[in-house]
Amino acid sequence: MVFSAKTGGSEEWKAVISAISTLVEEATFEATGEGIAFRGMDPSHVALIDIAWPNSAFEKYVCDADVKFGVRIDEFSKLIKRSDKKDNIEISISEDKLLLVTIGKNKKYKMRLIESSATDTPLPKITYNAKVGVTSAEFDKILGDIQVVSEYLSINANPTKAEFSGRGDSGEAIITLEKGMPEMPELEIKEDSNATYSLEYLNSIVKAVGTVAGTVVCEYSSKMPLRLEFKVANIGRIHFYLAPRVES
Amino acid sequence: MKRTATDIRKAIESNWNEYLSRYGNLFSSNHVDGSTPPSVFVGAYGYPKVLVGPMLPPVHGDTMILDLPEKWTGKSLEDIVNYRLSLVRGIKPVKIDDVGQKYIESLQEMSMSEKSTDAEMELVKNASPTVSIDGDSPIFGPIGEIKSAKFANSSSDKNMQRTFYDHDLLANDALVELYNRGIEISRIQKCFSIGMFGKTRKLVPTRWSITATDDIISKSLVEKITEYDVLDTSLVFSYNHLGNFFAVVMFPSRWMFEMQEAWYDEQGNIGFGSDFEDIKGMTHYPETAGAHFASRLAVSEYLTEKKAQAAVMVLREIRPEYAVPVGVWQVREGIRMALKQKPLEVSNFQEGLDFACKKLSIGKKEWLAHSKLYLAKKQKSISDFF
Repeated sequence: MVFSAKTGGSEEWKAVISAISTLVEEATFEATGEGIAFRGMDPSHVALIDIAWPNSAFEKYVCDADVKFGVRIDEFSKLIKRSDKKDNIEISISEDKLLLVTIGKNKKYKMRLIESSATDTPLPKITYNAKVGVTSAEFDKILGDIQVVSEYLSINANPTKAEFSGRGDSGEAIITLEKGMPEMPELEIKEDSNATYSLEYLNSIVKAVGTVAGTVVCEYSSKMPLRLEFKVANIGRIHFYLAPRVES
Repeated sequence: MKRTATDIRKAIESNWNEYLSRYGNLFSSNHVDGSTPPSVFVGAYGYPKVLVGPMLPPVHGDTMILDLPEKWTGKSLEDIVNYRLSLVRGIKPVKIDDVGQKYIESLQEMSMSEKSTDAEMELVKNASPTVSIDGDSPIFGPIGEIKSAKFANSSSDKNMQRTFYDHDLLANDALVELYNRGIEISRIQKCFSIGMFGKTRKLVPTRWSITATDDIISKSLVEKITEYDVLDTSLVFSYNHLGNFFAVVMFPSRWMFEMQEAWYDEQGNIGFGSDFEDIKGMTHYPETAGAHFASRLAVSEYLTEKKAQAAVMVLREIRPEYAVPVGVWQVREGIRMALKQKPLEVSNFQEGLDFACKKLSIGKKEWLAHSKLYLAKKQKSISDFF
């Protein structure tokens, strides 16, 4: 079996690891001829991350047989952090089942792999009625603005505008983006949609990958999960699914 | 007329004084000769140098009932207080890591015993049996500093013995293993407290060891539960004993657990304590202290048996009749008893809480106002949409 994947810099791995670390402590990656994929939920099953990292996004990519490898995210992260921004990172798996990580020209690490306990996680089946694309800087700001009064973010979108709001013991907050504003390059509405999500989860994922993604695309429907898409250069896409909060 | 807490305490005291006027000479002596249930107590005062010793009644025979809370459901407050008072607590200062000494070894032997064991204590001065029951401090019978102590040989429980001699077995694993083999929580806790488990052994004050035992064992059960399918129905259970009213409401959901306590103070004001956890476990020491872990143990036992996970809200209302706090075991046993009753099947959490509150004096609105589970319940799971 031959598997080796080399990135052009180190930011890609940093983004992938920090995204995953918001949900789990151990991660199982799956490498196939197509590229590297990860899918996993947090222990409470509130959020799900789905990463598809196509072979074309790598500087060099070889994989002649499918392989799964599990890592402890904190261990992997420490090691990747030893890289400079421009360092290539090349990973492969040794015969004695260690992850070989080459950073830049001359740094070589071997890291233990863990037994992968991951079962195949499906994706939620949802028809998205609203699609709101917001620059990641603006999205981060909105989360901060709402957090002053609330632990939850409600998104209410119609064909002319998107409203982000929150309500707590101390009061309420509302931020409106009108169609055509530069902060919101995309607004596609099939049906007016209103749903509420936990800021705790949103904040941690946006802090983790928002800075490397230009825009965040929010897709959702009333009382249904939210899907955030982060487009990160040289990764392809990171999908973050978050289950809604529903008054019952 | 209904008795107040003060009346109950007075009655307990006068019963006890009457008992002493008949048998007082047994207690007021520097020599105590009897059979220990077996029972051992490790104080917290002075930690890391703590007061350790056996609990010994001045009578011979099968005294097991005196320190086996698992057998106490259905007993009155007076009975339980009397059990407690009839044990003379011998004390000797020992550093918590000094478990290799002969004195501790003989207490460990004794703790493993399958039945009551004869023992003798020579005290520095006469133990004095005067007691005052104020409703705040824990109840002890006479206490005396030990000059010397002797324990008869006893036959040890084989499971305890095996975990005791296995120095590679982690303390947590030892606790869980003994529990899985059917040993009572109160007996496991005593062995734990007298430094019998783990790689590095040390004494653990009784108070802490009770909480730790409930915590460790229930954690291992919760781990199993979270892999099970979600419970298919909503259920309500209730039970009351010793002036404590318990209600348990469970409904289909991923694992969530909340224990709430409410009590009346002397002025009739209501106090609340409430702690919530989900699969991530507790992140702080609970407001309801050991009661949180004791109730989590009873609930996780039930769900393990049903092979299901669920969201569970436990309500404990403490009435003024609970005049003398007798220990966290009564929460564990009270909820175990509640979960042995035939449950009421309801259509959802709200309806369950309505029924639960019918047997409580505190209303639904107040419980919900202190509930985090109620808020967390609004958060759906991604798996609801697969």
